[in-house]
Amino acid sequence: MNDQTKQYYDALKAKEYRKERKPLSDPLPEMYEPPYDSDCYVRYYKTVLSEAFPILLPGDDFGFHKSCTDVSRGLRAGNYTLNYARVIGEGFGPVLDRLKARVAKESDPEKLELGNAMIACIEEIPPIVEKYRKAAEDAGHVRLAEALTRIPWEGAKTFYEACLFFQICIYFLRSGMTAHLGLGRFDQYMLPYFESDLKRGVPEEELFETLERFFISLNVDSDSYHGIQAGDNGQSIVLGGFNVSGDYQINRLSELCIEACRELKLIDPKINIRVGKNTPFEVYKKGTLLTKEGLGFPQYCNDDVVIPGLIALGYRPEDAYDYVVAACWEFIIPNVGADIPNRCSMDFPKIVSEVLDEHLTGAETFEDLFAFVDEKIRANADDFLTKGNLAEEAPLPLDAVFLDGCLESLKGVYSGGARYMNFGAHGPGIAIAADALMAVKELIYEKKVLTKELLLDALHADFEGYEDVRKLLLSCPKMGNNEDPVDELAGRLMESFATHLNGRPAISGGIWRAGTGSAQGYISRGKRCPATADGRKAGEPYPSSFSPALGMKTNGLLSTIQSFTKFDLKKVINGGPLTIEVHDTVFRNELGIEKTAMLVKEFIDLGGHQLQINAVNRETLLDAKAHPENYPNLIVRVWGWSGYFVELAPEYQDHIIKRLEFEY
Amino acid sequence: MSGTVFSIEEFSIYDGPGIRTTVFLKGCPMRCRWCHNPEGQSFSPEEVKTAGGAEMRISGQVWEAEDLVKKLLKNKPILSHGGGVTFSGGEPLSQPEFLLECLKKLKGHLHTAVQTAGNVPAEVFDEVIPWADLVLFDLKLMDPGKSLAWTGQDNAPILRNFDALTRRSLPFLVRTPLIPGVTDTEENLGAIAGLLDRHGVSGIELLPYNKMAGGKYASLGRIYDPGFDESAEPDPRTALFSAHGIEAKVL
Ligand code: SF4
Repeated sequence: MNDQTKQYYDALKAKEYRKERKPLSDPLPEMYEPPYDSDCYVRYYKTVLSEAFPILLPGDDFGFHKSCTDVSRGLRAGNYTLNYARVIGEGFGPVLDRLKARVAKESDPEKLELGNAMIACIEEIPPIVEKYRKAAEDAGHVRLAEALTRIPWEGAKTFYEACLFFQICIYFLRSGMTAHLGLGRFDQYMLPYFESDLKRGVPEEELFETLERFFISLNVDSDSYHGIQAGDNGQSIVLGGFNVSGDYQINRLSELCIEACRELKLIDPKINIRVGKNTPFEVYKKGTLLTKEGLGFPQYCNDDVVIPGLIALGYRPEDAYDYVVAACWEFIIPNVGADIPNRCSMDFPKIVSEVLDEHLTGAETFEDLFAFVDEKIRANADDFLTKGNLAEEAPLPLDAVFLDGCLESLKGVYSGGARYMNFGAHGPGIAIAADALMAVKELIYEKKVLTKELLLDALHADFEGYEDVRKLLLSCPKMGNNEDPVDELAGRLMESFATHLNGRPAISGGIWRAGTGSAQGYISRGKRCPATADGRKAGEPYPSSFSPALGMKTNGLLSTIQSFTKFDLKKVINGGPLTIEVHDTVFRNELGIEKTAMLVKEFIDLGGHQLQINAVNRETLLDAKAHPENYPNLIVRVWGWSGYFVELAPEYQDHIIKRLEFEY
Repeated sequence: MSGTVFSIEEFSIYDGPGIRTTVFLKGCPMRCRWCHNPEGQSFSPEEVKTAGGAEMRISGQVWEAEDLVKKLLKNKPILSHGGGVTFSGGEPLSQPEFLLECLKKLKGHLHTAVQTAGNVPAEVFDEVIPWADLVLFDLKLMDPGKSLAWTGQDNAPILRNFDALTRRSLPFLVRTPLIPGVTDTEENLGAIAGLLDRHGVSGIELLPYNKMAGGKYASLGRIYDPGFDESAEPDPRTALFSAHGIEAKVL
């Protein structure tokens, strides 16, 4: 970090700039009402921009930060990755010319309406840019002021111009109704600018500083554009990946992105790394060095599973090879796709719980019972088919400028402009459902040590007065321990989900796709779900996404990884990672880094689709100290000494916690 | 043949090459004052309690060699890519028949390592050790008196077994815990360097004392009384080793 970057970074941390924001005179929610037509969008967009004023932080050569205090409540879209690169390369000037020429030839009133709205959106840009240029000039931000004489009207020529252009794109898209703008394959489409600068003799260090300041810019408004929780900005970056000819695409810029995140330790951008069997081991090592920072990323995505999975669902191969992730983990297609991958959830624990209530008494064999589970999954899937009507969605004219094909077709993002408009369903709590079925199978149908009545009574009483029944349920095999009988049940649940949902028609005109994610549902759905036959009490959370039940003591990471890679995960390609926690002491030295990298590689080579590996940090340890029952697997390991954190005497726990204070 | 195991840890980092599972065998003839694994000392199962005094679990499960090997082999798809299984303890060679059976059964299926402090009868060492693919040998204190004082045992059998190990063609790694003022002295590390030089050993791993080593004693109802200054920084004195052309790695 050089002085300028440090200045910008410190200003971000100090948050003083947030006090400069002002409320809009006409509050947004009132003015923004259905029907969501182009007019309404443009009105909204213009209102936000009409009162916008420049905010520049010290050391800032990007600008374009949010100046109103209003939280954008009209957010209607996003969670996709648009083709910024095309616009950045071309410039808004030529884009507008092309657009006007196209509109001039159009007679269809609907298309004209969209085309004119697209034109209106672009025409709002120059006055704001001029305001920023002037402010930058006055405040002595020379580089920014100079670049804004060309950018974004002309195409970017340098790496800095391209990053600045990007920041401008995000700013205007967010002034409309879009949030969760994924950055996609930044290391691929920004590479030409990076390389041409190097060729012109720009030192790499200088480009790195530019990259860092761009990343800092992504965080400036992190408090005001979020989905469910602050920090849920959807600003994912996807690095690496194989091309159609099987070459692994990792480059110096990919490495610098990882480096910048390691140094900045900020929440955005969230790094995803595409890997596969032939990914060089070095990539895993670099990724692990980032994991070590305890930021909760990178997340790994397995090209060997995801690409064939997407192709099987009908995506064009060239698009599948270009896949990225949405805000969290859903695999989507950039530039041409507007998939909505979080339309519904197949709540597995609830399904099993309902089936036990309705059919356990009558089901003579376990297979009979499972048939009811399968039936209920099908019924839920049938139900999805009528959900998610897009008729009222805003046409998003500015987004259409960035989505390939819309300028030519003059069709809106959600009205036929996108090549893909598929819907995805999450699959929360798979492990809980499999564990519950396992316990029923073993205790009631096989060993016959538990009666149906007793189990149902215990579940209805939330185990109050049935502690012995709960103990029995808890002692059955659980997913995450590499035990085939229960892992196979999980596989059957996913198979059923995939069979009944994948490829079926969505109301959008696209198809449905099944997944293993949970989104925020692992808390909220858990709260609503009664006691389950795995021994989980009513209201307790589900595990996050595709992970072992919370608080279950597993054999260890190797068993867990095997449990979660047995099923053919190509069939649940809506995504949702296995999440594992590794204590950050493991990352202390090179050996630990190397071995963690090996572990990730094993997961990928075994056919896992997605992995989130976390270095557990101080906050977790504090929580573990207060609630030891939730952390039976938390291992603290330093050289030859290893032990379960919760078994340590308090003063030793405190010692570890204190030691971490110096690191964070 | 059955044996007593107090922990099976998947993905252990410091117990040999690659991704490994480490099996901790219960029982050790030594009583190192700094022992970080007090559960490994007693040969019989014992209760582990929380700070509040509630029983958490029993440390020490009896395993049939056959069942243990079966369990270990379940992770073969991961363990067979340059990693394997390590038997540690306690002192794994103190349950020689059990260890031997496990090693024999794993031969040809998974790479095995045995981590030993070498304090076992010569016959036991010579019979069991050839079945391992790698030996991690701890050398703690070279002075017989100090060895007795700090580990409760004379070091003659250790040195004998070390000598026997170096005469074999079996791969091995020497490791020394750096205990401040005890094993990290110039005298002791110098003597270890000399011994390694005489046997043509080219490397050593030094494991700095960890200040949390005493963490487990209370849960076993024992008091940790190390008898040295725990807060002192251990000194690896790597120069003593490089003077002999030995590469010393501090872990
Ligand atoms: S040899 Fe190892 S297990 Fe035995 S007492 Fe010493 S440190 Fe503990």
